Amino acid sequence: MSLFRREDPHSLAAPYALDALEPPERIRFERHMKDCDRCTAEVRALSEDAVRLAWSTAAPPPAAMRDRVMLAVRTTPQDPAPQGASHASARTRATQLPPHVWGAQPPPRQRRRIPLFVPFATATAAAALVVASLFAVQANRTQDRLTAEQDRSREIAHVLAAPDARAGSGRDGRGRTIGVIASATEGSAVVTLGGYGAPAGGRVHQLWLMRPGAQPRSLGLFASDTPLVATGLGASATSLAVTVEPAGGSPQPTTQPIVQLALKSVGFGE
Amino acid sequence: MLRMPRARGQARCGLGEGDRVEADELLLLVAGGDQKAFEELYGLVSGPVFGLVRRVVRDPAQSEEVAQEVLLELWRSAAKFDPGRGSAMSWVLTLAHRRAVDRVRSARAAGEREQREALRANQPAFDQVTEEVEAGLEREWVRRCLDRLTVLQRQSVTLAYYEGYTYREVAEQLSLPLGTVKTRMRDGLTRMRECLGGVA
Repeated sequence: MSLFRREDPHSLAAPYALDALEPPERIRFERHMKDCDRCTAEVRALSEDAVRLAWSTAAPPPAAMRDRVMLAVRTTPQDPAPQGASHASARTRATQLPPHVWGAQPPPRQRRRIPLFVPFATATAAAALVVASLFAVQANRTQDRLTAEQDRSREIAHVLAAPDARAGSGRDGRGRTIGVIASATEGSAVVTLGGYGAPAGGRVHQLWLMRPGAQPRSLGLFASDTPLVATGLGASATSLAVTVEPAGGSPQPTTQPIVQLALKSVGFGE
Repeated sequence: MLRMPRARGQARCGLGEGDRVEADELLLLVAGGDQKAFEELYGLVSGPVFGLVRRVVRDPAQSEEVAQEVLLELWRSAAKFDPGRGSAMSWVLTLAHRRAVDRVRSARAAGEREQREALRANQPAFDQVTEEVEAGLEREWVRRCLDRLTVLQRQSVTLAYYEGYTYREVAEQLSLPLGTVKTRMRDGLTRMRECLGGVA
C-alpha cells in the first residue's frame, strides 16, 4: 500500500513485464492496471519486448516429453471460457477477458475432489500430468455416473500411487495413439486410446494382455474415450493389444490388433 | 512395438514469421478442443518453451516438469488467448516465463539454490548444449542487441528475465537504488525494441 503512495505505479510496468515483481506487488499492480489504460498499453508493449529475450533460448525438449504431454492432453478437460461465454467462439470469448491478458494469475487448479491424490501433486512430472488426467476422468460427469466414476478413479489412483508408476505411449501410422501408465509391482495399468473413435456397427475396442507362450487374456472393453484400468498383469507381460470385437467382447481375439504397445518401457519384463 | 513417425508435432527451434502466424491460428483451434491442432502447436512452441524454461530454471528435471506444466496449461487455458492483444507465441512465452520464474523463486526460497549450483558445476553448461541447436537468426539478433545496451541496462534486464530475480533483488545485487533499476529495465527493453524492430 505504502508502495504506491511513495512512487509512481507506472514505473512498475517494466519490472512487471519482466516478471520481476514480488507476488503482492504483482497483484497490486494488476489491480491498478484495470483502471489505467496507459499502464495496460505500456505493459503490453514492454511484454512483447521482454518476450523477444526468449528468442535466443529455444532448445529441443526431450522426446519423451511430447508423449507425456499428449497423453495428458487426451484426458485433461479444457477450462471453460472466461465469464461463462460458453457459446461464443474463441475469438469472441477472448475479447471478454479482464484488461490484462498476460494473466499474471495462474488458472484455478482443478478442484481436488478426492484428497487421496494430493501427495502426487508434488511428485514427478509424469505423476503431475497423470493427476491432471485423473481429474479429467471425474470432470463433467452426470451425478448418476459419478459414483462409478469415483470408484474407477480410486482404482486409477491406486496405480498412480505406486512408486514405480511409469508412463508410455505409442502411435500408429495414422497418428492414432495408445497411452499407458503402469506399475509393474502392482501389476496394473491405466490405458487410454486416442483418435480411434467408436467402431462401426456396435462393435467394441477390446484390450488384451499378450504374454509369451500364452493365449491373449482379455483386460476389458473400452467405453468411448475413458481410460481402462487393467489389473493382474504379471511380470511376464510383454505387450498390450487392442482389437475390434463384436458387441460385448470376445473370449479370444477374432481380428488382427489395430494397435499394440510393448510394456518393457513401463517396467515390465525387467 | 509401434512405429512412431515423427513428422508431425516434432519440436522445432527456430521461430519464423510463418510460425508465429500459424501459432495464432492453431491456438484458436486448440481453444475449441482440437487435439490435432494441439499436436501441431506443440511442434511450434515446445522448443521455445522448453528452452526458455531451462534458461531460467536451469535444473534439467525441474525444467522438464515446468515445461510440461506450461504445455498442458496451454491446452487447458487456450480459450484465454486473445489474438487482439498480441501473438500466440508471445502469450505462450509470457506464460512459460511466469511459471519458470515462479519455480526458480520457490526453489531459491527453499534453499535449494546452492545445492543446484553445486550440482550444476558437474554438468555441461547449458549454453554449450544450446549452441548445438540450430539457432536461427533471432538468437544472433538478440545477442547483438543485448550487447548494445549499457552494462547496467543489460544486467538489469538479464538478471530479471533470465535469472528470475525481482527488481528489488537486482537492485541489491547491483547496489543500485530501486528507482534506477526500474528505469534501466525500462530503457533496456525499449532499446531492445528499437534494435530488434526490423525482425519482429
